Amino acid sequence: MTSALEFIQFVLAPQMITGLSLGVAVVLVALGLTIIFGLLDVINMAHGEFYAIGAYLALALGAAGINFWLLIVIVPLIMIPLGYVVERGLIQRVFNKPDRHVTTLLLTFGLSLVLEETLKVIFGPNTQRPPTPIPGAIDAFGIIMPNYRLFLILLGFSIIIAVALIVNRTALGAMVRAAAFDRNMAASLGVPASRIYAGTFAFGVALAGLAGVLLAPVFSVFPTMGHDFIFMAFTVVIVGGMGSIGGTVIAGLVLTQVQVLSSLVVSPVWSDPIVFSIMVLVLVLRPQGLFGRMGHA
Amino acid sequence: MLKIDDLHVHYGLSHVIQGISLEAKPGEVVGIFGRNGVGKTTLMKTVAGWVQPSGGTIALDGQSFNGLTPDRICRHGVGFVPEDRRIFPGLSVEENLKLGLMQRRKRSAASDRAAVQGIYDRFPRLAERRRQAGTTLSGGEQQMLAMARVMIGAPRLVLIDEPSEGLAPMIVADIFAIISEMKAAGMIVLLVEQNLAGALAVSDRFYAIERGAVVLAGRTDSSAAREELMRAIAV
Repeated sequence: MTSALEFIQFVLAPQMITGLSLGVAVVLVALGLTIIFGLLDVINMAHGEFYAIGAYLALALGAAGINFWLLIVIVPLIMIPLGYVVERGLIQRVFNKPDRHVTTLLLTFGLSLVLEETLKVIFGPNTQRPPTPIPGAIDAFGIIMPNYRLFLILLGFSIIIAVALIVNRTALGAMVRAAAFDRNMAASLGVPASRIYAGTFAFGVALAGLAGVLLAPVFSVFPTMGHDFIFMAFTVVIVGGMGSIGGTVIAGLVLTQVQVLSSLVVSPVWSDPIVFSIMVLVLVLRPQGLFGRMGHA
Repeated sequence: MLKIDDLHVHYGLSHVIQGISLEAKPGEVVGIFGRNGVGKTTLMKTVAGWVQPSGGTIALDGQSFNGLTPDRICRHGVGFVPEDRRIFPGLSVEENLKLGLMQRRKRSAASDRAAVQGIYDRFPRLAERRRQAGTTLSGGEQQMLAMARVMIGAPRLVLIDEPSEGLAPMIVADIFAIISEMKAAGMIVLLVEQNLAGALAVSDRFYAIERGAVVLAGRTDSSAAREELMRAIAV
């Protein structure tokens, strides 16, 4: 009995909490990705690099003396025009071509390479780690929990709820969902479809930038950091259902728990193959993902 | 006044609309008749901006909207009720309805509320179902919603494509009653409809289309013109 309790207290619970903070981190990155896919039908291969840009902006502006709490606001605000310009200047130009999916995928892949190499040139190849904004840890029932990870979980959930409310409960969100389902009909009711597309892309990019600010103190900052999260984020978006916010949250939290808990049973090197196998299985059995698409019933 | 002049539309090599010209005045319902595949729906989609014309002009009250996007055409005062209603499934009845408010020019929270209430007073079924997803409504209710969604924007021109398709006769009567209300409100209504008797009863004038061109035009109150129409579009 005692050993079971000790297992829960010292092994299972800490592992699950680590999984939860990792899950929130993945969901934060995946959220922008799924919104962009849900509305524009564009698989944004550069999303990980926008996440990296957010982290580097936080690093650079932090070094210039701007405190972390301001960065949470400033960095997404800087990312919005960047996302808007990328959508209007690049994505829209190829959007109405017949092979849109392949073209936009390759275009954003090319953009991701440009951004990654640019980050290397500007900031160098080395890993940097901003100081933890909230140092220390709390001890709850014998489980040690770093304060910043706890903050990340709480803020992450707040952001997820805020995004879900914006998309599902506001007039702007209704326009986005309408345009996601039927661009022509939405436009014929007066929805400025092109601006909604660019604005939503910018919003997704801003979310990636925000994730970069928040996760930099935990996962460090390096030019290829976008890759680390983007594979997991893509997996979450595919399993949850491309464009489904609820699906992304559930898939993100469940898959990261699978990742961390599987390492208790089998060697940790197997946790990634297990998670990615789930993605392959979902693609084969239910290609639309476990939950529906944005704007669809 | 709607004025379409020598309109041409191509789908690739196919010349779908071949020089259609027509006019419609405020408070007038104009029926567009013809067999399937003659270009009626393409004509509606072209006026709405979903399809770009390859030639000719479309103008409302002297303002041409050639080359404009559907949202800008909407803001010129054009409402579109397409053939398959296009209710957004992920949106509630009220959200679907409120999207139609985007067309209004001078908006305030109070005027929006009054407009929504006006629609609910006219369509109590929609009020009862305001929280339901739009696509959980019956076919007739969805058609009502599609028409209400356009009416709430108070457009100058309404394009209505096959509104009675697949609906029960009772509902069809309601649909034509709504079209009469649009006419009474001074809107220009361009109506494509297979239910000839119902459409002629509500229309002031008509155009018959054959292979992308107008082959006959006339007034619906002339029995000679109606007979000619029957002959022109008989299969």
